[in-house]
Amino acid sequence: MPSDFGIVLFTLKMAAISTIVIAPLALALAAWSWRAGAKGIVLDAVGALPLVVPPTAIGFVLLELLSRRAPFGRLLDRMGVDVLFTPKAVVIACGVMAFPLMFTAFRVAIETSERRYFEIARTLGATPLRAFVRVTLPLAWRGLLSGVLLAFCRALGEFGATILIAGNIPGRTQTLALAIYDRVQSGRDADAGTLVFYVVAIAWLLVGTSGLLIAQQRKRFAA
Amino acid sequence: MIDIDLRLPLASFTLGVRCALGEQVTAVVGRSGSGKTSMLEAIAGLRPRAGGRVAIDGDDVMELPPERRRIGYVPQDVALFPHLNVRRNLTFGGDARFDEIVSILELAPLLARAPASLSGGERQRVALGRALMTAPRLLLLDEPLAAIDQPLRERVLLFLRRVRDLGVPMIYVTHQPFEAMALASWCVVLDRGAVVSQGRPSGDVDNVFEVANPRHEPARGITRVTTTDGLELVLPYDPTATFPLVVRISADDIVVFGEKPSSISSRNLIEATITSIAAKEGVVDLTAGGIRVLVTRAAADDLGLREGARVWLALRSRAFLVVG
Repeated sequence: MPSDFGIVLFTLKMAAISTIVIAPLALALAAWSWRAGAKGIVLDAVGALPLVVPPTAIGFVLLELLSRRAPFGRLLDRMGVDVLFTPKAVVIACGVMAFPLMFTAFRVAIETSERRYFEIARTLGATPLRAFVRVTLPLAWRGLLSGVLLAFCRALGEFGATILIAGNIPGRTQTLALAIYDRVQSGRDADAGTLVFYVVAIAWLLVGTSGLLIAQQRKRFAA
Repeated sequence: MIDIDLRLPLASFTLGVRCALGEQVTAVVGRSGSGKTSMLEAIAGLRPRAGGRVAIDGDDVMELPPERRRIGYVPQDVALFPHLNVRRNLTFGGDARFDEIVSILELAPLLARAPASLSGGERQRVALGRALMTAPRLLLLDEPLAAIDQPLRERVLLFLRRVRDLGVPMIYVTHQPFEAMALASWCVVLDRGAVVSQGRPSGDVDNVFEVANPRHEPARGITRVTTTDGLELVLPYDPTATFPLVVRISADDIVVFGEKPSSISSRNLIEATITSIAAKEGVVDLTAGGIRVLVTRAAADDLGLREGARVWLALRSRAFLVVG
């Protein structure tokens, strides 16, 4: 049986890896949607989908995709990659569920970094990519960072999709959220309370930081 | 030579501009909402819906993305990148003629500053420098004096004159006709998206000098100064003035003599040769020794003023106005 500390550490690690993996994807999709202007609404909807669909439904879709019954699952199996009920599945579940929060935050951050600067950079000879990297992104960094923090928090608390594709295996795939569920089910309310305290403390710290960064960005643009 | 034949559908009318502009400064004048800014943005490549042709020395740039047009654009809000200091703003698109541009726009003391700490006039100069360092083939300026308080306007105009002297063709949008005349050699009037008239600007013309090296003579009530072009002038003594100083004198306030006057109250008597002269509606507009002068046709005829003629210009000290 892993210690409380072990569970916290494992959860932080899983959330961190999933956040790092989805960040470039969320940024690319947000940039694409921003460039597409009005047509970007379709991309926005795709990016935000996991936010409005029940996590267990997403878990079910992932389970179907990754199982040996599906072509993608078979391909992974043939390559000798085991995903279901391993820490990799935890990363995938957390990543998919956290993606919309990060994408939406990135999208807003990029939108509030005025398009004007991007355009002026182009008249100064910068390609769209260079103008985006050197002007739009640096102006949006607080919003981007707050998106990363929000996604990390969401990944910390992920439960529904994780339990379906990673199971709830102590010492292997059991995260904080799963461990709390486990302890409540077996009547160990005091032990569950300890974990709840940890997760609330971590999330509060991160959400607070994120809120502070957003407020600063808003102030900067109001000035 | 810049050939423009632009079409751009806007909310309340379609912008349709046709004009051929020379190598120098063209002022585009028109009321708010006449399509001036849209025209500049279309030329810069920022309006994807614009069609037609913009040819610079025969090269049509309309099909090119903004980054390949080599057209410098200074928007009305100047849009300095807030996260970069002045030096990094300036060199964002290139560092062509860095030292020269820093020197003529007097940017050296600002290089390490953040855009947020600059005054309106300073921002305007940095934005001008930033556009010039990309070695543009055409420079577009949108209302460069709009956000600047009156006393500083003449000073920014002085910098704009220096930029004009670099030889980059400029299109300069303004809704104030006096600005157009102070700088431009050609004027296009826009109304509801169409060119309603164009021609050479006329009206009050000012001479603006930047002066330094003051030699005060308080007892005689004068200060001797030298202009950036090396001209020696005499100004009224003012112990509070800080140099370098920008002064202006209207072209109407200068008296022309055909021979050297033997005694005269005017402290500035400049001997010069007429380098250009043009007559229009009873007024003769001449330039001698780099100074613009307006005289009546009758005076010009009586004095026999013509290109190459030697004249003496009298500039009263007290006719100079300190503007910055």
